[in-house]
Amino acid sequence: MGVELSAPPPAGTLPDVGFLNDINAEIADKGFLVTSTEELFQWARTGSLWWMTFGLACCAVEMIHVNMPRYDMERFGAAPRASPRQSDVMIVAGTLCNKMAPALRRVYDQMSEPKYVISMGSCANGGGYYHYSYSVVRGCDRVVPVDIYVPGCPPTAEALLYGIMQLQRKIRRIGSLDR
Amino acid sequence: MTDTAVKIPEREIDPATGDTSIANYTINFGPQHPAAHGVLRLVTELDGEIIERIDPHVGLLHRGTEKLIEYKTYTQALPYFDRFDYCSPLAMEHSYVLAVEKLLDLEVPLRGQYLRVLFAELTRICNHMLNLGSHVMDVGAMTPNLWMFEIREDCLNFFERASGARMHSNYYRVGGVRQDVPVKLLNDIAEWLDTRLPQLFGDAISLVAENRIFKQRNVDIATVSREDAIKWGFSGPMIRAAGIPWDIRRAQPYDVYDRVDFEIPVGTRGDCYDRFMVRVEEVYQSARIIKQCIQDMPEGPVLTLDRKVGAPKRGEMKQSMEALIHHFKLFTEGYHVPAGEVYVATESPKGEFGVYLVSDGTNKPYRCKVRPTAFSHLQAMDFMSKGHMLADITAILGAMDIVFGECDR
Amino acid sequence: MKAPAPRYAANDGVIDAAKAALGDLLVEAKDAVGEVSLTVVREKLCDAMLALRDTPGLEYQQLSEIAGVDYPERAERFDVVYQLLSFTRNHRIRVRVTTDEEKPVPSVTGIWPVAGWLERETYDMYGVLFEGNDDLRRILTDYGFQGHPLRKDFPMTGYVEVRYSEEAKRVVYEPVSLAQDFRSFDFMSPWEGAKYVLPGDEKAPAAPVPTPPVKDAKTSENTAQTGAGQPHPGNQPGEKPKDADVPAPKGEGQK
Repeated sequence: MGVELSAPPPAGTLPDVGFLNDINAEIADKGFLVTSTEELFQWARTGSLWWMTFGLACCAVEMIHVNMPRYDMERFGAAPRASPRQSDVMIVAGTLCNKMAPALRRVYDQMSEPKYVISMGSCANGGGYYHYSYSVVRGCDRVVPVDIYVPGCPPTAEALLYGIMQLQRKIRRIGSLDR
Repeated sequence: MTDTAVKIPEREIDPATGDTSIANYTINFGPQHPAAHGVLRLVTELDGEIIERIDPHVGLLHRGTEKLIEYKTYTQALPYFDRFDYCSPLAMEHSYVLAVEKLLDLEVPLRGQYLRVLFAELTRICNHMLNLGSHVMDVGAMTPNLWMFEIREDCLNFFERASGARMHSNYYRVGGVRQDVPVKLLNDIAEWLDTRLPQLFGDAISLVAENRIFKQRNVDIATVSREDAIKWGFSGPMIRAAGIPWDIRRAQPYDVYDRVDFEIPVGTRGDCYDRFMVRVEEVYQSARIIKQCIQDMPEGPVLTLDRKVGAPKRGEMKQSMEALIHHFKLFTEGYHVPAGEVYVATESPKGEFGVYLVSDGTNKPYRCKVRPTAFSHLQAMDFMSKGHMLADITAILGAMDIVFGECDR
Repeated sequence: MKAPAPRYAANDGVIDAAKAALGDLLVEAKDAVGEVSLTVVREKLCDAMLALRDTPGLEYQQLSEIAGVDYPERAERFDVVYQLLSFTRNHRIRVRVTTDEEKPVPSVTGIWPVAGWLERETYDMYGVLFEGNDDLRRILTDYGFQGHPLRKDFPMTGYVEVRYSEEAKRVVYEPVSLAQDFRSFDFMSPWEGAKYVLPGDEKAPAAPVPTPPVKDAKTSENTAQTGAGQPHPGNQPGEKPKDADVPAPKGEGQK
């Protein structure tokens, strides 16, 4: 794992910008838009992040709160989805225990590519308050690769919302992650 | 493991009749299922659609809290109680601080007691909103949940204004509460109780309480008799729905519950609908208690003035050397609790939440056993759902009000 | 009782009634911190429970809780503690039996079915065996867990931890290795009387050597003894910046 953000993409992946701008100027008033498929896919991915409800513990309650009318995460196209097969991002909300770890990995394996993981709360980030317990996984990144860590115990609804927006930024910048 | 995985046994043909004999299905429900309210795994044996046997597997959120508490001082152990039943954090703290106070035989200022009752009841409203909302959502209605979560948001804002945290407030202390609340907050709560709560809650409940579909899903589902409710260790709304008017707030009053006036709703049939309606009425009674608390609350300190237990204020520390020393001692060593054992149970929104505390005279609990409400209720799942349809599991689970933080600990 | 804990019916006469009802089943009865606890003979636990439930005047209808407690220094190291509740008399009582790793405790599932899971939990956490509980599986800990975590000799962080292995393509169990150890401070022995050796202190003699008496006690009665008021490099008026708010340029001021 590990994503290099500063390095420029290898030659040949991005089209010539001047060429695109020329065509755009020519046909923009006729109701068309020119872009690369890569950018189109990224735009579509960021705007439709269906997340897998993986509520484990306390953070799950805040995760529900983000979806309720006051914070309304669906504004950002992030809608809850109970089935891993159709979801794009998994929010690991809460303490991951040893007994639950195989199930978490199984759910992650069932998700279709490209898939992202948000680790929500200190327990999922690194064990948190339960770090020294005999039955807690010290961070869900021991079991699944994590893209965004949201700190807090539990993170407020705003914090999770910000985490989703950070994930969108990350997708826009680097496209689908190479694992 | 995640979705319902069906295992179909091989069919055998009965040689006498030629009929295909159909063996029972075994269905695995969970541990990741949106209707399980957390991480519950049910191994279900079905005869067609009819439930023959349910074996709940719990412990998927077993965090070893009781072990961790034995390694923390009494002050450090308090936030673990927020995280037991994360839908009603302050009610969990209430049992713990009362247990430690009983061992210390510590007097609590009256204003502190009133504040604790006030916020415990606000927590009850908060918890019932989550439970009622997800219950109606599990049986197919969406809108009431959206409104009830708006009430929850208001409650969380009140917690935030009192303690600084939305959910895990860590607000109660042994000897009272952490800090006093501003007058504006009390005014806002009183106004909210008069305007927003009855309006939003009344609207939400009016959609389901008399709804034909909702009644079809809940009436006469999982009826429990009074004898069974006692034998299976039920408590809280579960035992009241079965027709036993047992409420620890009334029978064994703690803090200032003997100074406030409230009624105890009781069910008649002991089914899922009764459990739902008992909780609905409890919300109104909680609102009544909060109003009385705001009205009757005296002025005065909110935390015990015994400096060997209650931490001094920040401002005091800047003036007085004694206060500084006490603060340092309280937050490093903590206070020593006399040896002994107590079992203190309070009426949490889900039922009897007990803390069995054994102290050996040091600054750390020797043993802290938590009596979860969900344990006895979930154990009864097997006999309650026998003979019902598979789809009724969600209604039964929703009406039980189970949270795995306290069930698995 | 000053504490605002739940107030139930008074304990007066409860011990006498229990003595009359239990007879020689009772080992010990005490009333401490406002709560009555009875210790009964382990083999006759079910008889004692039935007597407590059915005798008029006791009437403990509900079993609230079963808790285990571990005292490793005792011969029978475990306490199994039952909390009973009477709805009619509005009273709570505690019943206790002692046992060890091998001697089974009679199960009370026949009296209260709720005991099933509570006994399973006590078995899981302490390894106490219950005779007559036909479903004595582990309940809270992981599938295939080794040991009984709430025993005092079980380490808090346990023995294994899990990790996803890319090679095995599954979640694997490994011996626990912590990035940082749990920091536990001993507040019980503030200055003296410690029975253990602090890390790094191994070379110190086992018995503390008494400090030799000081010939000239150090005093601070005048400035000559303390050194106060002596010129000190970097503390002279000329070495200070002229304007306290303006930092001195390099090479000026404090040299």
